[in-house]
Amino acid sequence: MKLKRPPRRSAPETIVALIDVVFFLLVFFMLIGRLDATSPFELRPARAVTGTDMPAGGVTLAIAADGALALDGAEADAAAVLDRIAARLESAPDTLVRVNADRAAHLSEVLPLVAGIEALGARDVMLVVTPERE
Amino acid sequence: MKLARYHSDKALISLVPLIDVMLILLVFFMVTSTYLNLDMIPFVERSEEAPADAGAGAASEPAGTLLLRISADGQAILAGQPLTDEALGAEIAARIADNPLLSVVVLPSTRATTQDLVSVLDALTLAGATRIRLMQLAAQP
Repeated sequence: MKLKRPPRRSAPETIVALIDVVFFLLVFFMLIGRLDATSPFELRPARAVTGTDMPAGGVTLAIAADGALALDGAEADAAAVLDRIAARLESAPDTLVRVNADRAAHLSEVLPLVAGIEALGARDVMLVVTPERE
Repeated sequence: MKLARYHSDKALISLVPLIDVMLILLVFFMVTSTYLNLDMIPFVERSEEAPADAGAGAASEPAGTLLLRISADGQAILAGQPLTDEALGAEIAARIADNPLLSVVVLPSTRATTQDLVSVLDALTLAGATRIRLMQLAAQP
């Protein structure tokens, strides 16, 4: 039996408006979002009003309130973190290191690591803060 | 005169795959992006001359350095006196008015939290301090 093919219809005009809206949403989300590796644990950066704009790129070291560490989203211990940062600095000495420490993290978890990263020769180490109030 | 109306062209390429791709991109950016507003405070800055400059400054101006401690509960302590962030800001602003090159060395307790440190650094920066150094005791338990 030969089936009759349904007549091909062109896209109705209203689809153009849909494309407009989707394009708008796409550009909106691309502009306001940051494509960073997220930390595997809950993390709230410290609040500060005098922070400056954060440059993109580099590696991000996340430090949880209980001292858990993650480098670029992958959990690791302190020795592994320093090893991987050392490897990055060897291939690219200008690598920027962002320290995203939870606001409740004790400085005993944060400062020795920062000193260790500085000792590896990092020339740009920054602490991530947020200007937002809750 | 009556003009003949142009017959509108039908779209030759189907728009449906375009919409599919755009929706996929839209969902991708919505799901993978983080929308928290983030700033930064530099820990280590890229300047080769800074340590030498600070060393020379400390040697020639012994009175130009201030030691500020942060206790385990987050309180700023200046010369043994606990200060609130506001009082600290006023005190530092007054000292900077006297000596614009004043450098502040911050020695936080390792039991203090990151927020305590950032709050003190915030107060110092708002008071106009530009030479802020962070110190830690290596052997502190």
